[in-house]
Amino acid sequence: MARYIFRRILQFIPVLIAISLFTFVLMQAIPGGPFDFAGDRSLPPTIVANLEAKYHLDWPMWKQYLSYMIGDDILGEEGGSRGVIRGDFGPSYHFRGQTVADIIKITLPVSAQLGFMSLLLAIIIGIPAGIIAALNQNSWIDYTTTFGAVMFVSIPNMVLAPILIWIFALILGWFPVAGWGAKPPYLLGFLPTALNKEFFSHAIMPVFALGTGSAAGIARLTRASLLQVIGEDYIRTARAKGLRERAVIVIHALKNSLIPVVTILGPAFAALLTGTFIVEQIFGINGMGKHFVTSVGNRDYQVITSVTLLYAVVLVIANLVVDITYAWLDPRIRYD
Amino acid sequence: MDNREVILDIQDLHARFHTQDGVVHAVNGITYQVHAGETLGIVGESGCGKSVSMLSVMDLLAKPPAEVQAEAILFKGEDLQHFSQAEMRKVRGSNMTMIFQDPMTSLNPVLTVGFQIKEPLKLHLGMSDEEATKRAAELLELVNIPEAENRLSDFPHQFSGGMRQRAMVAIALACNPTLLIADEPTTALDVTIQAQLVELVKGIQAKLGMALIWITHDLGVVAGLAERVIVMYAGFVVEDAQIDELYGNPLHPYTLALLKSLPRLDQRKEEALATIEGLPPSLLERPQSCPFEPRCEFAKPKCKESNPLLEAVGPDHKIACWVDIKTGELR
Ligand SMILES: Nc1ncnc2c1ncn2[C@@H]1O[C@H](COP(=O)(O)OP(=O)(O)OP(=O)(O)O)[C@@H](O)[C@H]1O
Ligand SMILES: [Mg+2]
Repeated sequence: MARYIFRRILQFIPVLIAISLFTFVLMQAIPGGPFDFAGDRSLPPTIVANLEAKYHLDWPMWKQYLSYMIGDDILGEEGGSRGVIRGDFGPSYHFRGQTVADIIKITLPVSAQLGFMSLLLAIIIGIPAGIIAALNQNSWIDYTTTFGAVMFVSIPNMVLAPILIWIFALILGWFPVAGWGAKPPYLLGFLPTALNKEFFSHAIMPVFALGTGSAAGIARLTRASLLQVIGEDYIRTARAKGLRERAVIVIHALKNSLIPVVTILGPAFAALLTGTFIVEQIFGINGMGKHFVTSVGNRDYQVITSVTLLYAVVLVIANLVVDITYAWLDPRIRYD
Repeated sequence: MDNREVILDIQDLHARFHTQDGVVHAVNGITYQVHAGETLGIVGESGCGKSVSMLSVMDLLAKPPAEVQAEAILFKGEDLQHFSQAEMRKVRGSNMTMIFQDPMTSLNPVLTVGFQIKEPLKLHLGMSDEEATKRAAELLELVNIPEAENRLSDFPHQFSGGMRQRAMVAIALACNPTLLIADEPTTALDVTIQAQLVELVKGIQAKLGMALIWITHDLGVVAGLAERVIVMYAGFVVEDAQIDELYGNPLHPYTLALLKSLPRLDQRKEEALATIEGLPPSLLERPQSCPFEPRCEFAKPKCKESNPLLEAVGPDHKIACWVDIKTGELR
């Protein structure tokens, strides 16, 4: 297993290089540059030229890329970049004086909190809902759950979020309209220090907006999967042993039925990540997703490439965790 | 006459399925007895209700769509129809056990073989995990799995088809059942493995003395195994006789046709195997006439008018037929 994980990580290095190169080139191909505007006003060309020279944007693109990835000293050039490989993601062009690392340190914990809670919500609502629906197949419980699942799968979060704000913040006034209830410093670098009312009242709507789609998808898959498993021969064997129905379901059906559910957690996680772009924007949450979108508008090249790389790493780790869980659930799967 | 105690007495068992296409009459009033320690073979074409009749007795059919009715289903003198679910669960898997057709799918793929054998031991005999592990290893040994102790922690996919079916036998034997029902346990196995399994079960039965119901559509297998055979057709029992009697003196046209379709060693190469023309009837209607009549070479007008009941025609020999196939005339 350790060898498998190691190999997966090695395989991922060329993928990361491709992603960084692709993002880097694509960003620079977009018309406009990071120094076109200061606030609402456009800057005089001489100042723009100076700034571009300062950040080496006048270098040929291959050199800029190598400077970003491996550092200036290896290139034999003057300049401060130590390269991504040594943990230097460079400065932000837009927020001058801040490095990309500074920005990530502030925004990543917020997004991680939002994303993790949404994933948790998706799992702890989705799986039980699917199980309950399957065990009460064709009853009103099943129909209600299935109807709810279809509804929430079909409502995109950019529609759900404003509806939630309108009802629960504006009409009922239960929750604040926007913002996030945890501030730095964070526990272990990403956990909120206090799980208080302030935190949850801010979190509840964005987490709901982000997580319900996945919860609904997981519920539908769990239901279908459990129904299929209940029809399997080995379930009849379990009943023929004289086991109670509860033991038949819990011991013999559940684990089998979760195997396909685990395999969609990878894509579900990716959906949550991209969902943060929208949800953080709508709820005005200062997370990485919102910052990422803003950075595209600002042509903040280093931020965009670095955050893209970070997303890629997170997704790969998530998929690795999924694969390991999968092997743990299904003894027929062995990696080596 | 068999003097052994009757342990299973099925009287007028019906099983129907309510489906979108209508009611499927899968079992249409079957009656037979099984004696202690007896080996009963049940044969018949695919779809004639062999499995459904056994699943009805074990109460393993999902209701709905299934609906089961019987005059009585007496197991060791008690009517299972009056048992509560909890009482039924105590019988199932301990006193009356069943193994199924497909060993590849009958074991749970995510649980170890050992766990699955230990389950009935803990449930019915209240064994501790330690005791159950010991007994499970003995059981695997009993079914001829080498290095039994080490194989307990294996998952089913690490077993071959034949081994899986033997593991199923081990599960079924765990609590020393009075009756073991084997529903075509060899159909999915290749021929040599089939023979091994039959020998194994025969040997175990001789040792433990449980009664055995062996379902198959292979009259050859039954010949080497059963003391008595029941022939089923379209949800009816059409013939019930001691094994020698059935092979030597078949009295139902369907049994005769089945026997003619068996390959024989003394058969000349150019002689084609006999087949039974036509198809079994649709089960969507309850037949008023003899269900075999359209395919029967002995059919008489009377066979169209009413369906013959199972009747004794000799000691230990019953058939459901209007015709005496020796003379070709009505009996
Ligand atoms: N759940 C069900 N719903 C509807 N019809 C069913 C159901 N289960 C069985 N049947 C029907 O009942 C009839 C008897 O089926 P059964 O499984 O007992 O046949 P069998 O004699 O065991 O055949 P085989 O040799 O193929 O196992 C078949 O016609 C089958 O289509
Ligand atoms: Mg069958």
